[in-house]
Amino acid sequence: MEFLLLFWEYFKIGLFTIGGGYAMLPMVKQIVLEHGWIENTQLISFIGISESTPGPFAINLATFVGMEVGRAQAEGTMGIILGFVGSAIATFAVVLPSLVIIMIVMRLFAKFNNNFYVQNALVGIRPVVVGLILSAVLTIGFAVFFPKLDFGNLSADGFSQFNWVSLLMFVAMFVVSRIKFKGKKMHPIVLIVSSAVLGIVVFGAFGVVE
Amino acid sequence: MKKVSLLQLFWTFFKIGAFTFGGGYAMISLLSEELVKNKKWITDADMLDMIVIAESTPGVIAVNTATGVGLKTRGFWGSIIATLAVVLPSYITISVVYFVITALEGNIWWNSAMKGINACVTVLVVNAFLKMVKQLPRNWFSAIMLIVAFGIATFIPAVNVILLILAGAVIGIVIACISRARHPMVNVDNVEQSSEKEDE
Repeated sequence: MEFLLLFWEYFKIGLFTIGGGYAMLPMVKQIVLEHGWIENTQLISFIGISESTPGPFAINLATFVGMEVGRAQAEGTMGIILGFVGSAIATFAVVLPSLVIIMIVMRLFAKFNNNFYVQNALVGIRPVVVGLILSAVLTIGFAVFFPKLDFGNLSADGFSQFNWVSLLMFVAMFVVSRIKFKGKKMHPIVLIVSSAVLGIVVFGAFGVVE
Repeated sequence: MKKVSLLQLFWTFFKIGAFTFGGGYAMISLLSEELVKNKKWITDADMLDMIVIAESTPGVIAVNTATGVGLKTRGFWGSIIATLAVVLPSYITISVVYFVITALEGNIWWNSAMKGINACVTVLVVNAFLKMVKQLPRNWFSAIMLIVAFGIATFIPAVNVILLILAGAVIGIVIACISRARHPMVNVDNVEQSSEKEDE
C-alpha cells in the first residue's frame, strides 16, 4: 500500500510542478514530512547529495525518497530489494505525467504556445512557484540554523537553539558562490565538496560543538 | 533532419544524464552543444521551442527536453527511450550512493561533512531562488503573487502546495480576462508593467 501512495504522491509532484527541479522541492518537502517518510535533516542531506551526484537533481531526490520508503517496508535483504522497487516507482511516477503531456503538447505546439489561457495561467503560476521556493529556502535554511523552529507553530522555544557556526558557514559559502572566477561562477559541486571539507575541519578536527 | 537510431538516442541521453550535475538549466547548454552542433539531429529553432515547452509544462526540465527530442527524432518509442536513458544514470548512481551513506551513518567524520554540506544546500537553494526571481516580469502582479504564496506556504503549512499552484493559474487567467475586457487587444503583461518593484 505504501508503494501505491508513493506512486500517487510522486505522480502528483510530476504533474503539478512547473519550472523544473527546484520548483518540486516545496511539494516534495510537504509530502515526505506529512507521511513521515523522511525527516527534515535527512531531506537536507539528500538534497546536498542529489546536487553533487550526476543526473537531474529532482530525479536523484526521487530515487532517494523511493529507496528510503522501500527500505522501511522490510528487514534485511528483502528491504534492499524493496528499496530498489521503491526508487523505481518514485522515478517512474515523477516522469510519467510530463512524458504524456510533452507527447501531446509537441503535436499542438503552435496552438499551445499562443493559447490565451495557457499563457496567462503560466503568468499566474510562475510567481507562485518562486514564492514557494522562497518558502523552501526559509524553512530549509532555518532548520539548519534553528533546529527547533517550526513555522507552522511559532514560539519562543523555537529560537532557543541557534547553530551560529552553520550560519557563519552559510554566509561564507554564499559570498563565495556569488564571486566570479575568470568570469565564471563556482560550480555547485566545487561548493559542496569544499563545504564538506570545511565541515570536517570545523566540526570533526576542531570538534566545534553547536 | 538526420536519421537517428534508437540506440544512438539511448546512448546520447544516457551520457547527458550521466555527465550533468544539478539539473535542467545546466543540461540545456550541453544538450544544444551535442544535439544541434555536433550531431545535427535538431536545429537551433527546434531547441528553442523545446526549451519553451520544457519550461512551461510540468516536470523536470532536463527530462522534458529528452522526451521532446526523442519524440522529434524517432516518434513515440524515441521519446520513451530518451526519457529512460536520461533517468537511468541517476537511478544507478543514487542506488549505490544510498548504500554508501547508510553505511556511513553515525560516523563522526561523515556527520561533520554532512553538517558542512547542509549549510551549503541552503546556499544552492537561495541561488536557485534568486535566479528564478530575475526571470519573473517586474510588476506588482508578480510581487504580490510571490509574497502571498510564500506567506501561505510558510506559515500555514497545512495548505496543499497544489492548491496554491492551481490558484495561481486561475488568478492569472481571471486577471487577463478582466484586463482584456477593459483594454481589448492588450496583453496583461503590458498593462502591469508600471512598476519596477520586485519582492521585499
